[in-house]
Amino acid sequence: MSLHVDISLRLGTLDIEATLDVQPGEVVALLGPNGAGKSTTVRMLTTLLRPTAGRATVAGFDVATQANDVRRSIGVALQDAAIDPLMTGRELLDLQAVLYGIAPSAVRTRGDELLERVGLTAAADRRVGTYSGGMRRRLDLALSLIHQPTVLFLDEPTTGLDPMSRITLWEEVRRLNREGTTVLLTTQYLEEADQLADRVAIIDHGRIVREGTPTALKAEVGAPTLQVSVAADHVETARDVLARFGELRPTPEGTLGVGLSGGATVVTDVVRALDDAGAPVHHLELNEPSLDDVFAEATGYRLEGAGS
Amino acid sequence: MSKRSILAIVRQPALVLPSLIFPLFFAALGTSSFGRATALPGFPQVDSFLDFSLAGSVVQGVLFGSVTGGTALATDIELGFFDRLLATPTSRVSILLGRLAGAAAFGAAQALFFTVVLLPFGVSIKAGVAGVAVIVVSGALTAMAIGGFTAAMALRTGSSEAVQGSFPLLFIALFFSSAFFPRQNMDGAYKAVADANPISYLVEGIRGLTIEGFTAANVAKALLVPVGIGVASVALALRALRSRLAAR
Repeated sequence: MSLHVDISLRLGTLDIEATLDVQPGEVVALLGPNGAGKSTTVRMLTTLLRPTAGRATVAGFDVATQANDVRRSIGVALQDAAIDPLMTGRELLDLQAVLYGIAPSAVRTRGDELLERVGLTAAADRRVGTYSGGMRRRLDLALSLIHQPTVLFLDEPTTGLDPMSRITLWEEVRRLNREGTTVLLTTQYLEEADQLADRVAIIDHGRIVREGTPTALKAEVGAPTLQVSVAADHVETARDVLARFGELRPTPEGTLGVGLSGGATVVTDVVRALDDAGAPVHHLELNEPSLDDVFAEATGYRLEGAGS
Repeated sequence: MSKRSILAIVRQPALVLPSLIFPLFFAALGTSSFGRATALPGFPQVDSFLDFSLAGSVVQGVLFGSVTGGTALATDIELGFFDRLLATPTSRVSILLGRLAGAAAFGAAQALFFTVVLLPFGVSIKAGVAGVAVIVVSGALTAMAIGGFTAAMALRTGSSEAVQGSFPLLFIALFFSSAFFPRQNMDGAYKAVADANPISYLVEGIRGLTIEGFTAANVAKALLVPVGIGVASVALALRALRSRLAAR
């Protein structure tokens, strides 16, 4: 097992309890909003924060008692991508090698390979201060790989990146995974979890509230969501009508949502019933279950920027 | 890590120039304004006020320069670079010592800079080349000693602003020493503080090398005073590092 996690942390208002197992070669996404405890969990697993109780092993080593063995086995790209802006990409790779006890000359070729992989060969001798956000993240990824880790932690690897940079980074993560690297990433983007992860763990208020493959999680939610909008003074009536067709679900403001227990075929019945009740439909949308629905069902609210 | 500290200095000249320019400014101001003070009874025997000033300039430059290293460490903590280092298996102590080694290299460079720059203006080092070597080593040790304090502050507070706030303290420590005026010509409380201030003895060691010559007493003061301060400050910094790591 690449990761076995059963830890809790209480620190001021922070209260986290996480249980999770990750198999070698898996990509697992911790999905949750800001403040859910994703980064704190990663900080515990990367030996930067000590859990108050419980035990976690990474690559077979205990994070509390074998911290240095853990550090040697893992690659870490933290959320802030704190990279010294005064140094060049290549200098940072050399420094990173030294920090892992590797002579920079011994990893020169690997450094060049990594720079090429992340598309930074041309910028290698420029100061990081001149890099774009996407370039910094890619350099951060290269840095985390210099010692060929078996487990890679990516804390919100694409937050704040433009769509192109995001896709480039996704491709690189997929490639690393194909080469055998186990990846634990945190994200607040549903699409990222859907695209990259073999398994998704939804984390909310410090607790993992759902866990499984994206397909299985969506199947659990089952029914497709019908989202309707009606005139403001008909909202209450419409809510009562919709409740007859299934469980109400959270949808964007100004709309109502229902998980159709009778499936997509009952849409016409719903529209007719609303019409009969004097709440004619202005707009409607039928959505097959998505990770967003899984998230909403598990937490009672939707992730901001859903589907982005 | 020490290489990184040096790169940071070389690539941010605006941050370190003040610690190079101000001491020269003070030396020039002192020489033009207090030149005749050398005639005061009790003032050390010097060829010029500049000979007297050199030691003050070196110590002033190194002291102020040491704030830069502490500030950089605090910035690393603020921005998360420190975490990047901690996530690697490198020794925690070497993260601190690397910084201090960088500070020492800069201190040595500063000491050499002031000596060389003031030479054409008539400074003569009575202790000769060996004396200059001792002054350079003293600069390195002093930078490390004061760097220990600023690093301890950085590790305790994790705030670059707090570290920069130590600047006035260093200025006071320097002002209440014999950096700008000989203790022999001081009086009262000012003299009492300067007598108790280890920086006075450091300055006088370097000054002795400049205006008297290469004596065991001068070498001892120039080297042992910063070693003494350094032992205390590095111990403080190591303690601060331990408590920062334990709070995780």
